[in-house]
Amino acid sequence: MSRGSGGGYDRHITIFSPEGRLFQVEYAFKAVKAAGITSIGVRGKDSVCVVTQKKVPDKLLDESSVSHLFPVTKYLGLLATGMTADSRSLVTQARNEAAEFRFQYGYEMPADILAKWIADKSQVYTQHAYMRPLGVGKFCTHFPTYLHIYTSTFAMVLGMDEERGPLLYKCDPAGHFYGHKATSAGMKEQEAINFLEKKMKENPAFTYDETVQTAISALQSVLQEDFKATEIEVGVVRADNPIFRCLETEEIEEHLTAISERD
Amino acid sequence: MGDSQYSFSLTTFSPSGKLVQIEHALTAVGSGQTSLGIKASNGVVIATEKKLPSILVDEESVVTNVNQMSLLQVQKIQHLTPNIGVVYSGMGPDFRVLVRKSRKQAEQYNRLYKEPIPVTQLVRETATVMQEFTQSGGVRPFGVSLLVAGYDDKGPQLYQVDPSGSYFSWKASAMGKNVSNAKTFLEKRYTEDMELDDAIHTAILTLKEGFEGEISSKNIEIGKIGADKIFRVLTPAEIDDYLAEVE
Repeated sequence: MSRGSGGGYDRHITIFSPEGRLFQVEYAFKAVKAAGITSIGVRGKDSVCVVTQKKVPDKLLDESSVSHLFPVTKYLGLLATGMTADSRSLVTQARNEAAEFRFQYGYEMPADILAKWIADKSQVYTQHAYMRPLGVGKFCTHFPTYLHIYTSTFAMVLGMDEERGPLLYKCDPAGHFYGHKATSAGMKEQEAINFLEKKMKENPAFTYDETVQTAISALQSVLQEDFKATEIEVGVVRADNPIFRCLETEEIEEHLTAISERD
Repeated sequence: MGDSQYSFSLTTFSPSGKLVQIEHALTAVGSGQTSLGIKASNGVVIATEKKLPSILVDEESVVTNVNQMSLLQVQKIQHLTPNIGVVYSGMGPDFRVLVRKSRKQAEQYNRLYKEPIPVTQLVRETATVMQEFTQSGGVRPFGVSLLVAGYDDKGPQLYQVDPSGSYFSWKASAMGKNVSNAKTFLEKRYTEDMELDDAIHTAILTLKEGFEGEISSKNIEIGKIGADKIFRVLTPAEIDDYLAEVE
């Protein structure tokens, strides 16, 4: 009779369970949801918009340092949903990778290539039990320490491609990545995807304003609350301005007003 | 590679002499989307279901040539060399790793011997990689089975490689969710003197057997290689033509 669950380690490190599952990967997905934030990304005809909640847990915190939206290069943005520390580490590595790409190949790293690189990195963590990110110290104890450090983040990569137009990619902790017309990550991921599927069903070609407003109203609908401009972060790239930009509070305010007047 | 704390294999023998991690990997393969391959007298065809997690996933491509390396569209069937293609059942991210390693091995062979790598050699090297991950320290086996289709001087060939690293040459094979129905269907339909077009029709019919929902050029992928020794993924338009012929 076989031993069954591999000595119980299938829950500690990334080895297979008897049903062929990777529990650590599944737990990483749960950790993303536990962060309590939901993010949305929408791709329009000539622009991409990502929106995420900005939850500042303490009034004494400097809100400008609470951000999940990161420029990776001038033209590529990354929205990281999940554990903040893992996100920051990922962004640092992504920035390095994009800069090296530009140096090596002489042109800007496209969004899909960056997404693939992030996804391949996540896959390594799902297969190698001991992989750890930069800068964590080693220590010895009596008991074997299962250092299966894992990246519990969903990364949405957005950018304008010269030939192919607006691009939105999402990478998950398991190493999957797809291009999306619209997508979501975080606590209310499934509800948001259901909402967006309805909106995108007829393959609409959203203008810039429609793209931003669809993203924001999706978040409002799914969380069932109306936001103030300071409670969300919005990042965009557009054909007439391919630089990745976080919207100012006033601009967010305008879009929120437009949404409420529309309804 | 890596931590000394992990210089022991995670894939160890059970008291009954089995390597349970490999069996679990096979279970992971068995819950993946169905894929299959058929070797004809004048070529090989491989095919797979392509069920995407949501309609929001972008499967359309701005690029008209599906045989260009483009990440814009989801493509499960991949080239390893111009005359060897591969499809998988199981975990997509693991497949990407193997594709990358195999492509590199093929190119290294080409650089050394100034000729394209024979199909058997590439299959052997890929299988060796997969076996290493069942015995090396601190890693788990790959959660994919591969179907490698190629055409070289020895003619058309189809190989299946499993997570254990064992590989066999097949006349026709299937993997994934619907494997037993598909294999039974293939056993009935396969003939030694089948031509490539017949094989493509049979492949479509086999996929149709266990297909949930309506089969269309958007939710399957087909790759073929003929005596021209060029592996090609069929365009959605070509798949539509074959689907119409099958009706």
